Amino acid sequence: MRMEAGAVKSVGLRKVYQSKHSGESVEALKGVSIDVDKGELFTLLGPNGAGKTTFLRIISTQLLPSDGDAQILGYSVVNEPEEVRKHIAVVPQDVATYNNFTPWEYGYYFARLRGMNSVEAKKKAEEALKAVDLWDLRNRICQTLSGGEKRRAIIASVLSSDADVLMLDEPTSGLDAVARRGVWSALRELIGKGKTILLTTHMMEEAEMISDRLAIVNRGSVVACGRLDEIKALVKERFRVVINGEFKGLSSYGETAKLGDRNIVYLKTQDEAIDLLKDSLKMNLRAEASPVTLEDVFVKLVGGLNNNGNQ
Amino acid sequence: MGINKILKDTLIIAWIKSYPDFRRNPLMLLLLAMISAIPLFFMLMFSSGGNVIVHGLIGAMVSSVAFAAVMSGIQDISWDRYVKIREMIVAMPVHPASYALGIALAPLLISIPSLVLFGAITAYLGFLNVERLLWIVPALLTVWAAMSTMGFMISTYLFKASPMLLNNLSNLLGIGFIFIPPVYFSEAQLGSLSWISIIIPTSNVAGLIRSYLGLLPLSTETLIIRWTVLIAMTLAFIVLISLKSKWREN
Repeated sequence: MRMEAGAVKSVGLRKVYQSKHSGESVEALKGVSIDVDKGELFTLLGPNGAGKTTFLRIISTQLLPSDGDAQILGYSVVNEPEEVRKHIAVVPQDVATYNNFTPWEYGYYFARLRGMNSVEAKKKAEEALKAVDLWDLRNRICQTLSGGEKRRAIIASVLSSDADVLMLDEPTSGLDAVARRGVWSALRELIGKGKTILLTTHMMEEAEMISDRLAIVNRGSVVACGRLDEIKALVKERFRVVINGEFKGLSSYGETAKLGDRNIVYLKTQDEAIDLLKDSLKMNLRAEASPVTLEDVFVKLVGGLNNNGNQ
Repeated sequence: MGINKILKDTLIIAWIKSYPDFRRNPLMLLLLAMISAIPLFFMLMFSSGGNVIVHGLIGAMVSSVAFAAVMSGIQDISWDRYVKIREMIVAMPVHPASYALGIALAPLLISIPSLVLFGAITAYLGFLNVERLLWIVPALLTVWAAMSTMGFMISTYLFKASPMLLNNLSNLLGIGFIFIPPVYFSEAQLGSLSWISIIIPTSNVAGLIRSYLGLLPLSTETLIIRWTVLIAMTLAFIVLISLKSKWREN
C-alpha cells in the first residue's frame, strides 16, 4: 500500500466500445474522475446503462480504459494490475453460485486463492459467514439456498478475502427487504473495521441508507458527487407535496411531476408546502408533504423531468 | 507472481472444480465410467472373442480421459463466464495459467476412478504391466492435454456463444471424438484409411496404446510421427488460444 494514497482515485476515465460489425462507437464513460477515501462506503448511483458497471470493471482490472487511469491505494489499474488485485475483492453484477458448492466452501476456498494458509482461511471464512448471517447454513449446498442466501454466500467469499477495498456491483438487486438489510448491515460493519467499499446501485433507498458519500452517474458522466446532504442541496427545492387527483393550475405553485393520477410539486420553503396542503384540502384532495428525497434529486439531476416539469 | 503460488492456485482451482462432484455427485463418476463402458458391453455381446475386449478397454481408458477433458474445457470456461465467477477470479491475485490448468486438471482427477477400473481389468487380463504403463500414462496425459486445449480453444473462439450451445457442442464433440474414430476398435479395420486415426487425437492415442500393449504392430518411425502429431496439435491449440484469449478485456 502506497503512503498518502486514497483508496480509489480515478482521473479522466474514459471508455469507448467499438462495434466490430457496424463500426459504431459508444462512449460508456466520458472522463470520470472520482476520489474515494479509505474507510469510506462510496456509492455510484445511476440509471441502467449509466456506466457504473463499466467503471467498476475498469477499476477492478477486468477491463482496460480507452483513456485515463485509476489508482487503488496508489497502484495504477492500467500499469500495475497485479498489485491492485492483491488489495481488492469484487462481486460482479448478477453473479450466480456454483450450485454444488456450500457457503463454507465459498468463504474458505476464495480465501485460500488469496494466498492464506488453511488455518487463516478457516478463520476468515468463519468471520465472513457470521458477518452475513450464514454460519448456520454453512454446510448446505447453494442449490438449496434462497436467492438472498446465495447472494450472501458470494458476499462472504469477498469478505473472507480480507481485501482492503471491496467493490460490489448492485449487490442487493433481486433481494427482499430483509435480506437487503442483512447485506447492508454486514457492509456497514466492514466500514467499522476500516475497509473501503465502493458499490453501485440504482436503488435510491440503498444509496441513502448506507453511503458515506455518493456520486450520481448518468450517460457516462458524474453529474453530482458528495455527501447525501450536499447532493440534496444541489436542487433549490427542499419540500415536496404529493397530491392525489386533479388540481388545476398546479404549475403556478412550483415545478411539478405527474405520476398518473398523482402530482408531485417541488417547493422551496415549508410555508409554500403548507399553503399548497391547505389549498388541496379546500379542494377535497388528499395531499402529503415531506422533505425532498434522494430520488427527487436524482430524477432532477439526470434529466427525468421535461421542460414543462413533467416526467 | 511466484511459481509456488501459481502451482498452489492450480491445485485449489482443480479441487474446487472436482471435489464437489466427488463428494456430492458420485453418480456422475459412475455415469462417466458407464458412458466409457457402453461400447464395451456391445463388444462383449456381439464379438467372437479374441482381443476385442482389450481393444474395448483401451477405448474406455481413452474415453474416460478425453470425453471429460473436452467437455470441461468448453463447459467450465463458458459456465464460469456465464455465472461471472471468472470476473471475481480475474480481479484476484490469481495467475491466468493457474485458472486454465486448474480447470483442465479437474476432469483428469474425475476420470481417475474410471481409469483405475479399466486399467485394472486390462492388467487382470494380462495385457498391462509396469513397463507398458510407463508408456500408457504419458499417452493418456497427452490426449488429456490435447482435448483440454481443444476445448479451451473452442470456448475462446466462441466466447459469445450461449452456454447451452457450447454444452451441446461439447457433448457432440465428445461423442464424435470417442465413438466414431477407431478408439474402441483397431484402426486396422479401416484398411487404407487407417491414416485418419493419426489426425484425430483420441484414435491416435488409442493406436499408440494398442502398439505398446502389443495389439498393433507399429514401426518406431510411425510411433515418433504419432507422438509428434499429438504434441504438435496440442501446441497448435495453445498458440491459437494465446492469440485470442484475454484475461483482461480491452
